[in-house]
Amino acid sequence: MAADEDNKKQVLKEPLSDKEYMKDEQRERLIDEIVKENTQLKKEIQRLETELQEATGNFQIKEDIPETKVKFTSLENPENDSQFLNISCSFQVSSQVLYELQKGQALITFEKEEVAQNIIRMGKHHLKIEDVDVEVLAKPVPLNSGVRFQVHEAYSKVKINVTEIPDGLPEDQMRDKLELSFSKSRNGGGEVLCVQYDKPSGSAVITFMEPGVADKILKKKDYPLYINQNCYRVTVSPYTETHLKNFQVFSGISERTVLLTGLEELQMTDIELLEDLVNIHFQREMNGGGEVEVVKCSLGQPCIAYFEEERNGMI
Amino acid sequence: MYDDAVSEETLGALREEQARLKDRLRELQQRRRELRDQTRDQVPFLANAVPLVFRGHIKQGQEAPKCLVSEVRISYPLPGGSALVTFDDPKVAQRVLQQKEHEIHIEECRLRVQVQALELPVVTAVQVSTQVSRRSVLVSGFPAGLRLSEEELLDKLEIFFGKTRNGGGDVETRELLRGAVVLGFTEDTVAQYLCQTGQFTVPLGEHKFPLRVSPYLSGEIQKADITFRSVPQSVLVLNIPDVLDGPELQDILQIHFQKPSRGGGEVEALRVVPPGQRGLAVFTAASD
Repeated sequence: MAADEDNKKQVLKEPLSDKEYMKDEQRERLIDEIVKENTQLKKEIQRLETELQEATGNFQIKEDIPETKVKFTSLENPENDSQFLNISCSFQVSSQVLYELQKGQALITFEKEEVAQNIIRMGKHHLKIEDVDVEVLAKPVPLNSGVRFQVHEAYSKVKINVTEIPDGLPEDQMRDKLELSFSKSRNGGGEVLCVQYDKPSGSAVITFMEPGVADKILKKKDYPLYINQNCYRVTVSPYTETHLKNFQVFSGISERTVLLTGLEELQMTDIELLEDLVNIHFQREMNGGGEVEVVKCSLGQPCIAYFEEERNGMI
Repeated sequence: MYDDAVSEETLGALREEQARLKDRLRELQQRRRELRDQTRDQVPFLANAVPLVFRGHIKQGQEAPKCLVSEVRISYPLPGGSALVTFDDPKVAQRVLQQKEHEIHIEECRLRVQVQALELPVVTAVQVSTQVSRRSVLVSGFPAGLRLSEEELLDKLEIFFGKTRNGGGDVETRELLRGAVVLGFTEDTVAQYLCQTGQFTVPLGEHKFPLRVSPYLSGEIQKADITFRSVPQSVLVLNIPDVLDGPELQDILQIHFQKPSRGGGEVEALRVVPPGQRGLAVFTAASD
């Protein structure tokens, strides 16, 4: 009997069978793997959270600049030397703030802000248009937000960008080769003031002593660079610096213009008449109105209404 | 010996955790995708309100240019021994340009000059990237009818927000925008603190006013597309030899370029830059 018990104890004290040991090891490995994966996931999440925090407010604006015709205005003689080294260009860009007037809607601009706000507060208005009772709703105009900024651009008359420079020489030597090649007047070059060479990107900025050399070189897209007995064609392009000033995002709010809706059912074709009638109604103080500047209605095709800035003082 | 039950539990818990983490990751990736598609119309909280009004200008249909350009100004340097001739009629300018060299005969005077089209670099498209500024804030909420010049207003704001006892700090930049002012500080912490506080009572002249301070969304040019366009009515005259002085040269050129027999016509403006001098020709928007 005792021997049997001993045997049992013996069995219990034995290490796991191979099969059981495998299952255990596998599970351990699995646990390790999952722990690793989870740590990786946590890192990824942390990274994204930080990125998103910084990203709010990061967006790209692409604008096509409509062409403006220019004309000669005056000849100036400034003291500042640097103004002769560039063709400078500046202009103001402002987003158009628009409202797309739908069928049955109208815009009405009052002379006084208080009147406009009162009309909105009153909400519903009962008009009589050619013996037809119309209920019109007055609301603030929902306007899009926009951007404004000034663009300042300087197109250099003495500097050019050079790219596709081969990577065969140490920095100093290549700089010298560039200076020599771009000084050769028989190739269109001229006296070089300085060379800024960036070996990793294979690019350089060459500054000439005199304006005019850059223009000549830029008539072609490439230029010969001589290194020992070989001639390489490097690409040349204009050197410009552009920056923004007075950048702001703004949201348009309409203080004097009110949106009227509810005119869809009208069977009128004479829009001008309708506008006159609406105008008359809202001019009357007893209707809650006041002096009206302009009324515009849409009975069919949607039309785009432009909103402009109020010109009253600096701020 | 390893406890079966415990490790099964651990495995289960870890699997659950992984499922949660994966969900969260998908959520964040989705948000990042959405942000990438976001247009500027969806960031109103960073914009300050600008009052606008409808004055009756409309356009039928649904095509409208997205932006307005104004205050165009181009400065073009002219070398010594050159002149800028602006004709009334662009066709005359074109005719004059057909000959690259002009010989000017006036009395005993013979001058040979070169004539060239005037080409100006014009920006046709821009790409701007925006970012919430770390060091700048937007000050807004100014009362209407404030009787201060730009310089006075900026000074008073810099004085107030330059003081640490007001929660401010060293002001590095200041800029007047429409309806608001941007102040840039040397320290991030100042900008952060001011935005968090949000409201300040600031003396502007005789009275104090409550002003709002909020984060500033700044913009930077990423790319600008530039092409050259010629000015239709103007012509550049180059390499004028140094034989006459300013006023005489002006007269002689004027006479030459007005002669129809030489392809010329009515001259609107003629400016000479005598040899040895320099000039800056300024171009602004032509009103139709």
